[in-house]
Amino acid sequence: MYGATVDPVEQVNEDEKLREFEARIGRGEKIEPGDWMPEEYRRQLIRMISQHAHSEIVGMLPEGAWITRAPSLRRKMILLAKVQDEAGHGQYLYHAAETLGASREEMLEALLAGRAKYSSIFNYPTLNWTDVGVIGYLVDFAAILNQTMLARCSYGPYSRAMVRICAEENFHKKQGQDIVIQMARGTPRQKAMVQDAINRWWWPTLMMFGPNDSDSPNTPILMRWGIKTRTNDQLRQAFVNQVVPELHDLGLSVPDPDLSFDETSGDWQFGEIDWDEFWRVVKGQGPCNKERMEARRSAHTDGAWVREALAAYAARQR
Amino acid sequence: MNDTQLPRFQVFLQEQEGQPHQDVGSVHASDAEMALQNARDVFVRRPECTSLWVVPAEAIYSRTAEELAKEGGEKKEAGGEGAENPGLSGETEIYCVFSKAKSAGTQTLVGEVQATSPAEALGEGIARFAGGKAPFAWWVFPARLITRSQPQDIESMFLPALDKPFRLSTDFHTQTAMREIRDRKP
Amino acid sequence: MDMDQAEKQAFERYLLAMADDELILGHRNSEWCGHAPLLEEDIAFANIALDEIGHASTWYAILSEFTGKDPETHPDRLVYFRDASDFHSARLVELPNGDWAFSMLRQYLFDAYEMVKLRELERSRYLPLAGAAAKIRKEELYHYRHTSAWIKRLGLGTEESHRRLQNALAALWPYTRQLFTPVAGEDLVVSSGFGSPSEVVEIAWREQVVPLLEESGLQLGHLSNLVPDVSRYDGSRDQHTPHLKVLVTELQSVARLEPDSSW
Repeated sequence: MYGATVDPVEQVNEDEKLREFEARIGRGEKIEPGDWMPEEYRRQLIRMISQHAHSEIVGMLPEGAWITRAPSLRRKMILLAKVQDEAGHGQYLYHAAETLGASREEMLEALLAGRAKYSSIFNYPTLNWTDVGVIGYLVDFAAILNQTMLARCSYGPYSRAMVRICAEENFHKKQGQDIVIQMARGTPRQKAMVQDAINRWWWPTLMMFGPNDSDSPNTPILMRWGIKTRTNDQLRQAFVNQVVPELHDLGLSVPDPDLSFDETSGDWQFGEIDWDEFWRVVKGQGPCNKERMEARRSAHTDGAWVREALAAYAARQR
Repeated sequence: MNDTQLPRFQVFLQEQEGQPHQDVGSVHASDAEMALQNARDVFVRRPECTSLWVVPAEAIYSRTAEELAKEGGEKKEAGGEGAENPGLSGETEIYCVFSKAKSAGTQTLVGEVQATSPAEALGEGIARFAGGKAPFAWWVFPARLITRSQPQDIESMFLPALDKPFRLSTDFHTQTAMREIRDRKP
Repeated sequence: MDMDQAEKQAFERYLLAMADDELILGHRNSEWCGHAPLLEEDIAFANIALDEIGHASTWYAILSEFTGKDPETHPDRLVYFRDASDFHSARLVELPNGDWAFSMLRQYLFDAYEMVKLRELERSRYLPLAGAAAKIRKEELYHYRHTSAWIKRLGLGTEESHRRLQNALAALWPYTRQLFTPVAGEDLVVSSGFGSPSEVVEIAWREQVVPLLEESGLQLGHLSNLVPDVSRYDGSRDQHTPHLKVLVTELQSVARLEPDSSW
């Protein structure tokens, strides 16, 4: 039912099919499982969706670590709810990738073997409670901008997963913003903690939007096929324009000496991203890459006997 | 040994009484009871739900209108249709019939039929539920293979979601707070 | 409500024990987040933890009201600014998580205890308690469904899962004694109609868990005679293992940075 493959005895001209496919996308139609699609479309989507799923799963770790130290009962419950959502989002996304013929087993194997990518933002450490707030406020907001765009993507199951995820992600951003507002208006120590967290997370968050458009080889084909509808730089600028004034209103600064407001365009111009750091972290040399993978691998290995028990019980029931 | 591949179960959710069950996605689980519990944790963290079904994904017999047209033009040998479906009894039993009107959207329950095979159930379903405009695609499966939540489960499985308002963005008054801060500025 | 000092204090202890149990257990459960043996359990167990913390909040709020404190702010004071030695949680819930069999069995034994105790408390003459018990019990039904399913699957799964579960049972069973040891003054709580006697809860608990454990292939044998040596496993809820202090220190570490501020 899922993972329809191209009929090897294809009678119709491949170019003709491609033209039809692109015309459908041009008309704003959704591509659904079972529809004809270019192999490249399928490949790009599986790559994007599985990376997205892996990001949700790995993303549980930096914040999950702070549940035990959440400083109020309410914050404890909120963080538990958030981390659950992330695991759930991972599930929705693995499911969407499965509709394209990927297997969850293979995707997870690739992640644990270090072959699969996930959002590099999660390779940075959460040093204190404030990071939980800043991740919600900045990182999840960046994710929302990206996901809101993807909710319009041409592939049905992915766009539907995005719609569901966006609805839930809003609470993630707001709870983070709530923490930041609370602390920015709190004691001098709390305010200093927030500023320090912003200083550490600002640039990694901007890097979440990916390389500059000029360095993004995937972007043109993704735009053509309706998988992306806005470029990396467009999304990044939207993020900066929204968040900078809010931070300033809270009495917080952004760690960018080149930040300035351009009256003509209405944009907040910002400095150059350290692309060396970006590529280092993407390639696995970030501060926590190893730690994150170790944690997921351990959970997997330590849990092998549990999964075997489940399989044995199920087999006996049949 | 790769053991991350637990069997897949399709999940159908009924939001309110009187509404049809709809496909919301799938879960992986070792057996049907765990699948039902997983489905609740994945798909019903927030309201609304009155009934949840899980069905082994491999048991779902699916055809698009396009595929049916193609098959209709060829002569099919008897018995060839149901080969891919386990649990084929040959006895008459109830099948659930789902369809979706267009390529986009998700499968929705349209009714039940009695049949001795999935192919026959689909034929019955088309005859009874197609209406004026032929749906884009169909799913059928034996009702016997559904593992479902019971009405008495509603209060323990689904209602607690109502008591967790902090899962909703409306529980956080960040816009009000920011407006107050801005208004206080000179 | 016309209660004397002794009755009031007894009821406070009774409520505090329930609240502290839920808090510490929920805290332990949350430690599995991101490390569970399958992704589905990352969600499921986090969900159970979330419910438990919610239950703790409810009990702390009821206790706060009863003692004339603000139910909005006092619960956090109780959680974050008491010393470990002032917690009234049972030792069962403060034990480190161990392996999956240990955690699932600990959760199961406690879920069964809560289910039967809450059924009794639905009849409490203290209406806030009765109402809360009815509501919380509904969530507990789902927890029980989940953990009892796991006990069956681990008990009847593989030789290894069975062995691990049997070991967990031997380790945990003696700690269940304390769940049914009356808190100081429980007789006053019972005579006022506010709470239910521990013996009643214990009988109902055994009726629930013994069949399920046996169904899951576990050997109960000598364990059904609880350890008579009370020095290690019995005792009041003021006695804790060294684990609790470590847990509470971590739990309170951020909040205590700024004791008079909000987060």
